[in-house]
Amino acid sequence: MNPETRQKIHEKYERELQRGERFWPDSIFKDAIMALAIFILLILLATFAGVHDSPKADPSDTSYVPRPEWYFLFLFKFLALYAQIPVLGKIEWIATALIPGLALGVLTVLPFVDKSPRRYYAKRALPLGIMGILVWGMLWLTILAEYPTVASDGSRVPGILQAIAGILLPLLAYTAFAVIAYTLKERAPRAILFTGLGAGALMAGFSLLSMALYPPSHKETVEHPTGLVDQIVAGQDLYSIHCLECHGEDGSITVIQGVPGLEGKVISPINSRDVLYTVNDASMAQIIAYGRPDSGMPPFGKAYNPEGLTRAEIDYIIAFMRYSWDDRYEKPEIKPLYPPLGAYEVPSYEVHIAPIVKRYCLSCHRPGKDSNDYFMDTYENILHSGDNGDRNVLAGDETSFLLQVIQGQPILNPDGSEEIGVMPPSGTLKPEVIEVFHRWVLMGMPRTAEEAARLTWPAP
Amino acid sequence: MRNAWQTLFAWLDERLGLHSLYQNLLDRPEPRGNWWNTLGSASLFLFLLQVATGIFLTVYYNPSPDHAYDSIQYIMNEVAFGWLIRGIHHWGASLMVLVVFIHMLRTFVTASYKYPRELTWLVGVGLLLLTLGMGFTGYLLPWHQMAYWATTVGTQIAGSVPFVGEFILKALRGGPDLSALTLQRFFAAHIWILPALMFALIGLHLYLVIKHGESHFPDKDD
Ligand code: HEC
Ligand code: HEC
Ligand code: HEM
Repeated sequence: MNPETRQKIHEKYERELQRGERFWPDSIFKDAIMALAIFILLILLATFAGVHDSPKADPSDTSYVPRPEWYFLFLFKFLALYAQIPVLGKIEWIATALIPGLALGVLTVLPFVDKSPRRYYAKRALPLGIMGILVWGMLWLTILAEYPTVASDGSRVPGILQAIAGILLPLLAYTAFAVIAYTLKERAPRAILFTGLGAGALMAGFSLLSMALYPPSHKETVEHPTGLVDQIVAGQDLYSIHCLECHGEDGSITVIQGVPGLEGKVISPINSRDVLYTVNDASMAQIIAYGRPDSGMPPFGKAYNPEGLTRAEIDYIIAFMRYSWDDRYEKPEIKPLYPPLGAYEVPSYEVHIAPIVKRYCLSCHRPGKDSNDYFMDTYENILHSGDNGDRNVLAGDETSFLLQVIQGQPILNPDGSEEIGVMPPSGTLKPEVIEVFHRWVLMGMPRTAEEAARLTWPAP
Repeated sequence: MRNAWQTLFAWLDERLGLHSLYQNLLDRPEPRGNWWNTLGSASLFLFLLQVATGIFLTVYYNPSPDHAYDSIQYIMNEVAFGWLIRGIHHWGASLMVLVVFIHMLRTFVTASYKYPRELTWLVGVGLLLLTLGMGFTGYLLPWHQMAYWATTVGTQIAGSVPFVGEFILKALRGGPDLSALTLQRFFAAHIWILPALMFALIGLHLYLVIKHGESHFPDKDD
């Protein structure tokens, strides 16, 4: 840049200063308002949106689908799309190192590459066009990150549509920009603008198409407990599923009964001071994860047992054991799962069935689990879904499959083989819980507490 | 008669040079600006807010695989207003990435990186990288599933660089796998190394901004 140009730039700037504002108070005022707005926004987010933690890290649980912070999602998606390009897609470092590296490099040396003194927007169509397409592409890749690259039926079409939107079209646009800038010279800005807008519209179009045709696969939204009370309750649920048969509901069993291979085995009650005072949390977690192979307790850690417990789940069980049995811990007040039924009371879905199902059935009866497609996540689904949806829950009918299987009567095929086993498959429900299901079905499955309040048990 | 405040001010001014500070830093002329010009100072505000809330979090946080998760739960459930401070730090990090990025876009669109502000831009790119680095290292600290596996994949990506990838991977993780060493490293980077660099670069950035003045919005003659 020659001295005259520089001189001119400085003179122009001086003139702008003449008709400008003061840093204090004019600019500072706006800055302060902005800072205040940000602060308020953050307090609102912290209060109402909160922070969503997942369970504690568990190195053995490799099935976990990693999800980076949202501002790295576009890179994740880009890598996923790039990897399906034939041949080139196998050379991973082009996408992981070369392309991001190039982009960053260009950004870094930008002032030394784009040396022309022109600053007005219309005179800078090329750099603005390149940046525009880049940011637009990042935006769509971020949105697409929620959507599958390979459809659930194995079709590659969504990935192809997305790759067109996120990789091919930007490349074509850049090529077009370069050609236009070289050939049209003076008339280039207008052409670049229209090419850019066209490419942008196509990118949006292909992204939206893929989103409309291939919606995100139903995500497993496993709620995970945060507060101490929730953790203790979760621990109790897990304990009743996994430990109850050997250690008993309150951990007091000293002689195992009814467990094949361990019949009559004498064990120390795990709710005793002997165990709770001598075993600290870390050793307790190890006992549960590794089991006691010599004495017959199976390992429950994910690393040894694919169906097993995650590190977080083991911690919940320990929290349950401590706060329930260890007299050094004061148990916080925990609401019962559902309010106990009065002698003539009829249970409702909202108040009774929903929490019971959540604790005892939902772990298997939700999308993604193999349970005859009987999803128990909503009222309608409990009534109608499942391979035997027309037989599971029938108002006033004792032979409803649900009532039979929770009372220890499997449903048999004509040839005598089991069509539906007893539910839940391991262990049995407490009599009071079975009674809740029983009254609910016989009284016609009232949904709300009000509907239930209009009925009395038993029906006249 | 001068009141006590004026006397105090005069005394301090003589020794600290308050008046010339005021003239040089605050009472400057500027080209006419608009709300886009607040994004730089908004980044600064967010950075300082992150520093303040971050310091509070280190009081309770414990960077070891056994205790990191529980110490965060403790902050969320037991410490008075811990949830608020952590919430602000969490959302502030996201917002800072967003604001810094838009700030970069605005200086790009107005071509503020051109003569004489090339170095301001260069330092800015450094700041953008550091901001992302803060996000990346901070994400692992709660040691939950999402963080653990995202970082596993993230460091793997860094490890795929030809020739030096293996070295980068080991340097980031402190071994072949994510371990206590990784957490310790990310913690050190997140609370000492990266913030120190950021302080230095922000200082330089601001010096350059004041030295050259903010650029004006270009018109047809530019
Ligand atoms: C198949 C039966 C079985 C199941 C299921 C089982 N355990 Fe055990 N557990 C045992 C046996 C047997 C021992 C050994 C007792 C002994 O040596 O006194 C044991 C020991 C223990 C001990 C150590 C007691 C001591 O003396 O140190 C703890 C704690 C424990 N179990 C907790 C659990 C928890 C928590 C679960 C559920 C995740 C569970 N167990 C599930 C059979 C079982
Ligand atoms: C450990 C997993 C598991 C749990 C927990 C569980 N189920 Fe099931 N359930 C299954 C499976 C698997 C099937 C498929 C039939 C079979 O294999 O026996 C099934 C089938 C059923 C069916 C038949 C559905 C149909 O349309 O064919 C009913 C009814 C049922 N379960 C009720 C319940 C109830 C009520 C609970 C809670 C008290 C429960 N189940 C808890 C695994 C489970
Ligand atoms: C922690 C991050 C950052 C902080 C705290 C910061 C702070 C600031 C402040 C306070 C200003 C003056 C006000 C304004 O124009 O908004 C400014 C200007 C500027 N920043 Fe940044 N910035 C950061 C990141 C960046 C990045 C990532 C870039 C670009 C790569 C950048 C490039 C510039 C340029 C070129 C100017 C001059 C603008 C002008 O003169 O009009 N900065 N910055």
